[in-house]
Amino acid sequence: MNKWLLLFLIILFWSAAGLAIFGFQQDQNYSATPLPNQVDRIISMAPNLTEILFALGLGDKIVGVTLDSDYPPEATKKPKAGTFWQPNIEAAIAAKPDLVITLGFTQQRNLAERLKRIGYKSLTLNIEKVSELFEAIRIIGTYTGKQSEANKLVGDISEKLDKLSALVGTKAKIRVLWVVQREPLRVAGRDTFINELIELAGGENAIGPTLHQYPPIGAEQVIACNPDVIIEPAMNPKNLAGQQSSALEYWLRFKNIPAVTNKRIYVIDGDTVSRLGPRLYEGTETIARCLRPELFAN
Amino acid sequence: MQTKAMKELLTPRKLIIKIVSAAIVLVLVMLVCSLIGTESISMKEVFRGASKQAVVNPDYEIFVKVRVPRIILAAIVGAALASSGLVFQALLRNPLADPYILGISSGAGLGAVIAVISGINWTLWGRSPIALFAFAGALGTVWLVWFISRLTGKFHVTGLLLAGVVVNAFFSAVIMFLTSVAKSREIHATIFWLMGNMIEEDFFVLWMGAGCILAGILILFNISPQLNVISFSAEDAKSIGVNTARIHTIAFAVAAFMTAVAVSLSGLIGFVGLVVPHAVRLVFGPDHRQLFPLSSIIGAIFLVAADTLARVIIAPAQLPVGVVTAMVGGPFFLVLLVKFSKKVGWLG
Repeated sequence: MNKWLLLFLIILFWSAAGLAIFGFQQDQNYSATPLPNQVDRIISMAPNLTEILFALGLGDKIVGVTLDSDYPPEATKKPKAGTFWQPNIEAAIAAKPDLVITLGFTQQRNLAERLKRIGYKSLTLNIEKVSELFEAIRIIGTYTGKQSEANKLVGDISEKLDKLSALVGTKAKIRVLWVVQREPLRVAGRDTFINELIELAGGENAIGPTLHQYPPIGAEQVIACNPDVIIEPAMNPKNLAGQQSSALEYWLRFKNIPAVTNKRIYVIDGDTVSRLGPRLYEGTETIARCLRPELFAN
Repeated sequence: MQTKAMKELLTPRKLIIKIVSAAIVLVLVMLVCSLIGTESISMKEVFRGASKQAVVNPDYEIFVKVRVPRIILAAIVGAALASSGLVFQALLRNPLADPYILGISSGAGLGAVIAVISGINWTLWGRSPIALFAFAGALGTVWLVWFISRLTGKFHVTGLLLAGVVVNAFFSAVIMFLTSVAKSREIHATIFWLMGNMIEEDFFVLWMGAGCILAGILILFNISPQLNVISFSAEDAKSIGVNTARIHTIAFAVAAFMTAVAVSLSGLIGFVGLVVPHAVRLVFGPDHRQLFPLSSIIGAIFLVAADTLARVIIAPAQLPVGVVTAMVGGPFFLVLLVKFSKKVGWLG
């Protein structure tokens, strides 16, 4: 038993030595909000955050973006700090940021925490709904001294959305099936911002409340939900025509749903409708054009 | 037929020379790897010290606060996985055994997935609860498997293996269930964790982790003569007076604990615990007295090198280290297997 006692003592000594040498690491004093005029070097860790920064006229102050930040085109020329899911903390530090903006996803929030521990200021925003987008734009505006630009941007978007809903609002709702992926079939559920866009565009999600955000569904549910329109956002906008024809072919297997009988299957550029950013109105209008092409004839 | 190493007697002097030279290689590899990264940094800047209020010194921060802690973490995890893999291979007398064979991986994975999905936001010393949940899940699973196998008999390798495999499958299914019903934004975080998620840790955590692993290796080294006998046959071991039940329990507990520490620090990194012990055994022979120190050091070297590759190979993005360990380690191991297997008797 002596050996074990010795081992126990060694472990105790080791822990004490560790505490004495390193202590519990104190967090740096990061909680202080940077003053608006002090923010000159910003890193954006998500494509929609990059779009917001550019829309607020902060393009020159961006010193790092993620690999998937591809809009506006200038964004692709910015230094890269890894990808959305695999941020590169070394690259982030090397860019000497005074503000790192991330989204609320675990991976992103962790990066913000890690940078805070080293002493960098960060801002984590949840952008999952349209209202959260507006709030995020205002918060970024406050942090960067662009309050009036932020208010104007939010005002512009909501004004355009109001006009659009005035245009489409009075008519009966069109039932939309929003297909994220064909094999296996996954669609957008009610608890998504896509659902909000569909409603803003005068439609209604054909799928009712589901457990998943993007539920996988079977043939039975496709037929039961009886969509008037099927929309597929294309991840590769270069090949819209190709995906359009393969979509028509694929959906032929459900001959009896109105969307197929009336050939109302649309493949649209997924770019504006897959991220919640300042191009929200453009995305919504794209959807509205699919739902009621007659309103946009001229 | 026997290897050269087996014919010669293992004297303490030889053992020390081997361990020291392996340790020197480890230190060299760690030094070289600390100079490799996506950002080129100058050591002159690093030595100028931490950032002050007015002067920001990113080189120092990258080197001291990101790169070095991450390399140390890789070394600790590599050593832990390699030595616990060795224990499981010896005790189960099964060449396919690795640290995860008894369900530790899925137990830890389940813990991590629950931590992520439940959206717990409290932090322990600024750290997410994932590590804690994974640790608890790992130890809980090992205990469960051990307990079930005890119901099947005193120490029944088949019972233990089957219990491990079934518990593993069951928990994997639970993980799949949870990820398939979870909100989609949470799922990705767990996927990267399940592929090995190496990040910088602060030095106190590294110090404690290193302490746990060193203690584990020390205990294992202490019982390695008995493990030598057991790895041939438990009956023989009993007949020459080895208290097999006691040795089994100690070895299992220590190996499980080391794996749990490793997994909670860095997620599930496969392949190290399977291949490094085999590679070391192929090259140096099957004596556990040298296998424990050597495989832990070589496991550390392997994981440090693999993680460095993972950091830079698709820059500016990073790969999960588990991808690299299998893709680089696999072919390398096959070369060793073909080259050395003719000389080694134990492959049969």
